[in-house]
Amino acid sequence: MLRVARVLIPAMLALAAVSSGAQTPPPTDPAVMPPAAAPAEAAAADPAAAAPDTRALDEQIQTLKKDAVDLNRELFMLEEELLFPANTQVALFLSMDVGEYFAIDTVQVKIDNKEVSNYLYTPREAEALLRGGVQRLYLGNLKVGEHELVAIFTGKGPNERDYRRGAALRFKKSVGAKYLELKISDRQRRAQPEFEIKDWE
Amino acid sequence: MATLLAFGAATAALSAERALRAGRAAPDFALRSVGGPNLRLSEQLGEVVVVAFWSSRCGPCRAHLQELNALYATLKDRGLIVYAVNVDDDMRAAREYAAGLSLKIPLLLDPGKGVARAYRVDTLPMMFSIDRQGIVRGVRRDDRSGAPSNAGAELRRLLAQ
Repeated sequence: MLRVARVLIPAMLALAAVSSGAQTPPPTDPAVMPPAAAPAEAAAADPAAAAPDTRALDEQIQTLKKDAVDLNRELFMLEEELLFPANTQVALFLSMDVGEYFAIDTVQVKIDNKEVSNYLYTPREAEALLRGGVQRLYLGNLKVGEHELVAIFTGKGPNERDYRRGAALRFKKSVGAKYLELKISDRQRRAQPEFEIKDWE
Repeated sequence: MATLLAFGAATAALSAERALRAGRAAPDFALRSVGGPNLRLSEQLGEVVVVAFWSSRCGPCRAHLQELNALYATLKDRGLIVYAVNVDDDMRAAREYAAGLSLKIPLLLDPGKGVARAYRVDTLPMMFSIDRQGIVRGVRRDDRSGAPSNAGAELRRLLAQ
């Protein structure tokens, strides 16, 4: 939390400084404010003199943007820590190996007979999985104890036929995060896809 | 009579309040399309997208879809993407209805109505214009002012951004 405050406060101050600079109204009567008008005229006459100011402002904006990105990342991590504390967290990943005998269409996941995810894949997402991508399919909370996970896969199987298969795993959730992986691979010997659920101990 | 009018105005106001408003992020979805691949809205980030909800049981939807198809034919070269989302329970009826219209726009199927719920669709037809950042910029309902042809100027403006 302190780290967030450390980033947030300077970012807000810098933002206020930049916005107040941008919103300063221009002098309406040049006779009343000659000192402000004079540097502007000098800058107009010599563009090289104005360049350092612009560069400094640009650097300030870049720093601010970086701070905002860092802050966003920290807030995201904090949100995850709050919503899914490590002692109840369960995360489910999906990966595909080869994919010669199976083109994925949907995956339905049930934990303790309750549907927690029903994901429909686009060709681009399927392609990403075939290239080695690992998708986080579900992130949730589970109590300590025995649970059952059932995953139902649909898609096109060998010879472009509609294909539907299921895989199930009974697992024990202890104190600490639980990571599970749905793994689809080709079983070359039987020319069939294989579906398994791995428990990352 | 006054009570009835007041009730009508209150219902209309409530309905408008319930619908997804302009300025909000468009909820992401993935749906099956008729005769094509599955489509996900977030994969079109960077493009201007129209999401139009329709049903084969809704009278004005036929003209609405045809106008949308014509608008797509005019603006597709400038990058417009149109998703016509069907909310029928009977997918076969939806397919036959669409086949009769010879549409060029992708027809998506939402039999579970999960996407329609996410967009808080309260009437049919109803269309949402989404900008390149994925923000809803226009919501149009079933009246002639909400016809796709009247959305042309708004879409051209979004395409120019």
